[in-house]
Amino acid sequence: MQRIESLKNIKQITTEYFTAAHMAGRTPDKPVVYLNVFTPVEIFYAMDIFPVYPENHAAICGARKVTKDLAPAAEGMGYSMDLCAYARCDLGWIKTGMSPTFGLPKPDLLVVSNAQCGTLTKWFEVLSRIYNVPMFLIDVPHAGRGEKDPAAERYVRNQIEELIKLAEEISGKPLDQERLKASIQLSKQASALWTRMLELGTSKPSPMTVFDQFVSMFPIVSQRGTQPAVDFYAAVVAELEERVKQGIGGVDNERFRLFWDNLPIWPELKSLSTYLDENGANLVTSIYTWAWSMLSVGEEDPIGDWTEQYLYTFNLHMSRRVEQYTLLAEHYDLDGFVYHSNRSCKYLSQDIPEVRDAVTERTGLPGVIIEADHNDPRLYSLESMLSQLDNFLELLASRKKAN
Amino acid sequence: MSVEDPWSPFREVMESPLEWARTWKEKTGGKIIGHVLPDVPEEIIHAAGALPVAIEGAAVQASHALGHIPTYSCNHAMGTVEMGLRGDLDMLDGMVIPYVCDTTRNLFHIWDRLIPKMHNEFLRLPKRTDHSMARDYLRAEFERLYESFAGLTGKKADAAALAESVKLYNASRAKLREAYARQQTNPGVWTGERVRLLLDSSLRTPRDEHLAWMENLPWNDQSDVAAETIRIYVRGKVWDPPGIAALLDQMGFTVVDDETVTGYRAIAQDAPLNGDPIEALVQRHMATIPYTGYHVEPRKMTGDFVDRVKASNARAVVFLNPKFCEAAAFDTPDFQKALQEASIPSLILETSARGVSTSQISLRLEAFREMIADDLP
Repeated sequence: MQRIESLKNIKQITTEYFTAAHMAGRTPDKPVVYLNVFTPVEIFYAMDIFPVYPENHAAICGARKVTKDLAPAAEGMGYSMDLCAYARCDLGWIKTGMSPTFGLPKPDLLVVSNAQCGTLTKWFEVLSRIYNVPMFLIDVPHAGRGEKDPAAERYVRNQIEELIKLAEEISGKPLDQERLKASIQLSKQASALWTRMLELGTSKPSPMTVFDQFVSMFPIVSQRGTQPAVDFYAAVVAELEERVKQGIGGVDNERFRLFWDNLPIWPELKSLSTYLDENGANLVTSIYTWAWSMLSVGEEDPIGDWTEQYLYTFNLHMSRRVEQYTLLAEHYDLDGFVYHSNRSCKYLSQDIPEVRDAVTERTGLPGVIIEADHNDPRLYSLESMLSQLDNFLELLASRKKAN
Repeated sequence: MSVEDPWSPFREVMESPLEWARTWKEKTGGKIIGHVLPDVPEEIIHAAGALPVAIEGAAVQASHALGHIPTYSCNHAMGTVEMGLRGDLDMLDGMVIPYVCDTTRNLFHIWDRLIPKMHNEFLRLPKRTDHSMARDYLRAEFERLYESFAGLTGKKADAAALAESVKLYNASRAKLREAYARQQTNPGVWTGERVRLLLDSSLRTPRDEHLAWMENLPWNDQSDVAAETIRIYVRGKVWDPPGIAALLDQMGFTVVDDETVTGYRAIAQDAPLNGDPIEALVQRHMATIPYTGYHVEPRKMTGDFVDRVKASNARAVVFLNPKFCEAAAFDTPDFQKALQEASIPSLILETSARGVSTSQISLRLEAFREMIADDLP
């Protein structure tokens, strides 16, 4: 496969980011906040509070294959092997000091929204006790079947307003609306570029794989609202557009166009991408990477937009997830679905058998469920996974032949 | 019902609770709404004219469910799916699944797809208990639930009916609290197992009948004075595995307080009788010790727990943690550490674990008892 050159910049970006994070950690008037994805990071960039994502750090640990050292350390602290491996990696690095990024700076504040999952709330509660710092939960009720819920809107909006007050207390200064607008602008640009990047996957062949998208996620997660994120995605999009013109695919010989459900299996990015490339299977889209295309807000009422987003976009009834998958199947002209039943992420995984059946009923497309873990290689067998994928690709080949 | 044995009506219910509910339905023609426990306001279901019946999947062996929910899910969820697929719950007219963790969220999705003909409700409980807007949100959610079930039964969702239900459930809880307290003063008669029988059956029978049955219990029997037992405090989701209460009795443990959703936590708080009954239920909910899936100030959480244990005069703590329950698994190490610092011994029993037998649990409890006995001055 012909590699995407602009993705190489990710190393420099992450190095600079973690250097800045550690600097912030050593600067008394530069507070550090730990966040998860569905939180208003733009507010913190606008207030000079440095945002850090423990999930991102844990993913790096997984990709660098140090989970096998970190997770057992957390288990030694009493945390069950059944818990999310991101959390175990995070607690493991705190215990051992081992980390490819020299760890994370100590936080001054923890902010988490449960529009993502309940695991993060409990994980951050542990961190709050370890570091003895305050924690703020943005409690986002489930979206039900998508009906408008004014009481839930008031509840979420009010919490975001409170969060701003807390951030002002921590930083010792009021939120500068002009700086917030600037941060929101940059965030919008990065989100638009990210969306454009994902949309380019509809081309045939798709110029990139979902593995490339996973590799390129770091700035859209950690640096929304900053210039480096915009610059990085602008370069990636430009290169991908060129690849589309030249007909260069993410895999050498694109025979199958597939959907990836759930988080990546970070320790197996290379082995899985190599296997799929050799078999002409291109993972062209994933609901996981699409999540970051929905995170931009307007400048007029950003709190209202965040409220809408957290409440109605992410924590959805399964039937709405099925609708989204059905739309993506058509949009990307998919041949099938690969579902990662992820032991570490019950939130995204427990209803997968029903999602798979419902999507197949709606689209007529087959799906395979592979049971693994996003970070802990002790909890799955790569051989079994590849054997399941072998069978699935054979099925797809016979379907193509029959058609 | 046996006149001689005042415990028999409760036993009859719990020998086969689902059959009991089915027979009740055949006899009365009433509607039944199942619920998978944590913090579902039974008063609302009762006021809407239906019988609330607790559904506990923990002890159910999964077979049909295996194709629909991954094995790394807790048995509470797997067992519920299993019972639904087997048709064990087909007498239910409705089902409430409360949102207390990621698993209950997904259980609702799975249930709603597999059993679409049932009137399914997802009770979206706020995870914050310290926020004024959480109260407003919960109020709206309770109102929605009342309207929804009143629509199912054809009754009007009116405040007067709900106020009557609140009164009845308060009376029931008061009586159950009295029974719970008798464990400590008269454990020969009021064994842990019998008190569990009362609590479990209360979640599956019409409360007025249950209350009437409780009146016949031997409240004046003072034949047995408090024996020398080890006072313990229990924290967990539900009382599981089945038979755990009897096991604790046999081993000389007395449960002085517990924070399970089928235990003392469920009866500790009443809803105020003056004023709006929905508001009263919100107040009751917020005053109840938060379930592990809720968020409270993390730095106070462990200290508050130790204070509650100390206030109970318990000698030790037993955690009944269901296998694969993330919330409990995140909390417990720090809880245990805080207990250790306060010199309070504790034991974690991983319950609902497929393949774990009662004899294994029995062995661990025995070793724990010996350890505590050695520890006594």
